[in-house]
Amino acid sequence: MSEWLLIALIAVPTLTAVVLWALPVVTGDRIAALVGTIVSGVLLVVSFVLWWDMRRPHCPCTYQLVDTYGSPPRTVPGKLMPDVDINVPWIPSLGVRFHLAVDTISLPLIALTALLVLLCCVYSLKITPRIGRTRSLIALLLVIETGVIGTFAAADLVLFFVFFEIVLIPMWLVIDIWGDDHDRAGRRRAATTFILMTVLGSALMLLGFLLIHRHAGTFDLVFLGQHPIKGGHGVPLAAAILIAVGLAVKMPLWPLHIWLPDAHAKAPTVGSVLLAGVLLKLGSYGMIRILLPVLPDATATIAPYLAGFSVVAIIAGSLACLAQTDVKRLIAYSSVGHMGFIGLGIATMSPEGLNGALYANLAHGIITGLLFFLAGAIKDRHDTSDLRAIGRALYARLPRISGLLTYACLASLGLPGLAGFWGEMLVLLGAYHPADWLPRATFIVLMVIAGLGAVLTAAYFLRLIRELCQGDPAENPPAAFAVDLSRIEFVTFAPLVVLTVFLGLWPFTLLNQWTFL
Amino acid sequence: MTLTWTDWQAIAVPLVLAIGAVAVLLVDSFWKSASAELRHTVVTLLTSAVILFGLVFVWAQRGGFKPAFCQPAVEGPAECSFVFEPLTAGLWAVLLVGGLGVVGLSTYRLLASDVPIGEYHFLLLSALTGATVLAGARDLATLVIALEVVSLPSFAMVGLRRDRRGSEGAMKAFLVSVLSTAVMLFGVSYLYGVTGSLYLTTIANRLTGLDPDLGRVAFAAGLFVIVGFAFKIAAVPFHAWLPDTYVGAPIEVTTFLAVVSKSAGVAGLLVLVTAGIAPDGSHLRTVIAILAALTMTVGNLAALRQVEAVRLLAWSSIGQVGFLLAPLAVGDAQAVVGYLAAYVVVTLGAFGAVAVVQRHRPGGLLTDYRGMVRSEPGLAAALIFFLVVLAGLPPGLAGLFTKFAAFQAVIDAHLGWLAIVMAINVMIGLAVYLRWIAELFRLPADDPFSVDIETPAVAMISLCAALTAVLSVLPSILFALST
Repeated sequence: MSEWLLIALIAVPTLTAVVLWALPVVTGDRIAALVGTIVSGVLLVVSFVLWWDMRRPHCPCTYQLVDTYGSPPRTVPGKLMPDVDINVPWIPSLGVRFHLAVDTISLPLIALTALLVLLCCVYSLKITPRIGRTRSLIALLLVIETGVIGTFAAADLVLFFVFFEIVLIPMWLVIDIWGDDHDRAGRRRAATTFILMTVLGSALMLLGFLLIHRHAGTFDLVFLGQHPIKGGHGVPLAAAILIAVGLAVKMPLWPLHIWLPDAHAKAPTVGSVLLAGVLLKLGSYGMIRILLPVLPDATATIAPYLAGFSVVAIIAGSLACLAQTDVKRLIAYSSVGHMGFIGLGIATMSPEGLNGALYANLAHGIITGLLFFLAGAIKDRHDTSDLRAIGRALYARLPRISGLLTYACLASLGLPGLAGFWGEMLVLLGAYHPADWLPRATFIVLMVIAGLGAVLTAAYFLRLIRELCQGDPAENPPAAFAVDLSRIEFVTFAPLVVLTVFLGLWPFTLLNQWTFL
Repeated sequence: MTLTWTDWQAIAVPLVLAIGAVAVLLVDSFWKSASAELRHTVVTLLTSAVILFGLVFVWAQRGGFKPAFCQPAVEGPAECSFVFEPLTAGLWAVLLVGGLGVVGLSTYRLLASDVPIGEYHFLLLSALTGATVLAGARDLATLVIALEVVSLPSFAMVGLRRDRRGSEGAMKAFLVSVLSTAVMLFGVSYLYGVTGSLYLTTIANRLTGLDPDLGRVAFAAGLFVIVGFAFKIAAVPFHAWLPDTYVGAPIEVTTFLAVVSKSAGVAGLLVLVTAGIAPDGSHLRTVIAILAALTMTVGNLAALRQVEAVRLLAWSSIGQVGFLLAPLAVGDAQAVVGYLAAYVVVTLGAFGAVAVVQRHRPGGLLTDYRGMVRSEPGLAAALIFFLVVLAGLPPGLAGLFTKFAAFQAVIDAHLGWLAIVMAINVMIGLAVYLRWIAELFRLPADDPFSVDIETPAVAMISLCAALTAVLSVLPSILFALST
């Protein structure tokens, strides 16, 4: 039963997309968003059913409530402990199997994906980009959903790679066709940079996978998790570096982030939401799922460098944010900083850091999704996302939207009580107490710098609020016909707002299931 | 040399193809009373039947082993000039499917009316005869002769239209080919001098025990033979003739060159490398690896700058050959044949789509394709699919997995540097095809392309797309071809 649900989760979006394309143009355009909403809503329910099914006591892989007072087991997490398992041969001559499995690490991310795609479809019911057809936009969003959920569910390295690549061309089209309608050349360049950098990264990652295969003779993640490749130099190190570079492009870590600001800024609202909320997670998920359990020793060798680049990303991203004059670019750069925290958490190889990274993954998906929705709302109303052109005093002009923006900014900068806090706190804790085989002094220095980065994060978000929301209403007259928060926007944003509070107040609903704490 | 025994079944296919070639020529010459359409149809059917016979034969005998023209050797097993084995079956399948595709794309009203159809099909079948022999050849003399049998009809086909561009293309190809044959024969003579044999297996055996000085001569000789083949398959730096020839020829002939002629060259090189002159660990393999890296990089970089569809395909086919040479350099026949099969099917489809556009817009610029997703959605979707397969990205899983197999072969042979070059070229290659795809999506178009596409073209392009889709879902078919 669960197997079929998982298959449906991956196959249904693409099939729906095909059906949408097969419909006549006029009908297709009219009902596309509705169909997308219904289908992705059902998929969200399915992902929760799977999650619920896994958390029921019958499953031995998760039902081990850890005694929180005893000393936690400091094992390396990330190993795939499959719950639902589909395993059939696909290309025997290459050693490739069609192997899908989900566990407690992947299911929350699958649910996040389903949720964000659902919200994008709901949003598109009323608000669509000015150019292009809604039908194709929705269809492409659904194909992206297939790719992302497939990546999160893949238990074979090649299958992981294939799903990883499925996302690229649809996203390229979304940016290229529906992107910023004032800047045709810019959106084309942004889309192309995005796809080319990611393809190069994933090709390098594939080389790493093939090195693993040469060394271990299999692509199977479950098997590789049980029999990790020992040795921190030579071939395993080369594999780890290649995989880390490939995933770092996707994540993205400084200095491989250069595709990100343009892609996020030029993409349409739904594209930015999915890019930031979901696609970046493919990189961090891959590191947790592949690097740590399969190549533990080699990862330990590169972990200090990974942590170093992550911390540079935090600082560089924050400093870049301080200099931005465009709302969407600013939020895009803030993603670089937040993904830096996640990278640092992964690099600590400690249970706290890993939990923090996983938690920050989800929190970042929800909060940045909300931020990009709000930025899109502001951009739609002013026809620009340039801070200077929008002017100040948004509190007076668009009180609800600017209130929500302030809320999302506060969540993003890590205010305790909201979702962003726990991830960053756990990551810093992990850096204070990294895995035994890592140089602790280095990580403590990095922790201090990362803490500084958190302060910078607060600085640029507060600057954004001051520049955009506050100010004298008299100097900034309200634009004509500017409607505050429409109903569809309310419906779209509300789940994200509620989840932000929920994750902020009850972190242990999620943290408890990552049993390696 | 006394030939002692021959399994005639082994050469049934080349024989039937040759007979078919003559028959086609006779039908066209002595049946002038029939209308052009009827003659064209009959000739097409005849050619297709001959090729289909070959495919059926390959399917029926796919697991078999049939040597021909053998003589008992002094040492070791018998020496054979021609062998039908699983590898031959895989290569034949690829070549024959390519030939059949070209025939399908040259039906009445698709092929330009100034091309004489009898000669056209005669030359096509002759070249196919040579190509099939080439794939089964196991001695250097047969290899060289078969390669000439592929090449000579090709130039004649390029020049069939007898206009200035066609003649120029034919001339270039001819001169380069003569040069390459000369170079190759020079290498062959030295190889014979060093090893005392023309049989590939014997050469392979004797090369290992050669004294170092002779070994250097053998290396140089092998280099010459490889350079000869490099001219034929247009590996960089021996590629300069290709773009002009592709543009000068009628588009169907270009398709033939890109599909059959190129596959034949690769097949010959594959046989040569795996069965003979470059055994595992030979320095010649390093040479081929360097050729592969150069070819894919230069081909893709040059393709980035093209503004004409056929020129872009010409340069990108050079890039694809680079990717083919990579597994070839490590002697992985399975990966080469799989890659070749996917390349042939997709190239047929892409050239078919280009031919449709080119018939109505002779300029052949990429801008002619602007906005085609709206004005001609079916053709645009098929073309995008083919290009995505060539780039090797989902949904074109056939292309992705053949590239994957190439990567795997190279990594397993510890050629890390080549793998990195290939990874970079995946990116450049994608950039090449994305320019075209972006053009298809660019809206609004001033003068979008929209015509009634000829039924045979629709059928052929759909067939190629369907076949590619099947290969994308079940890529194991590709890799089962040669085993």
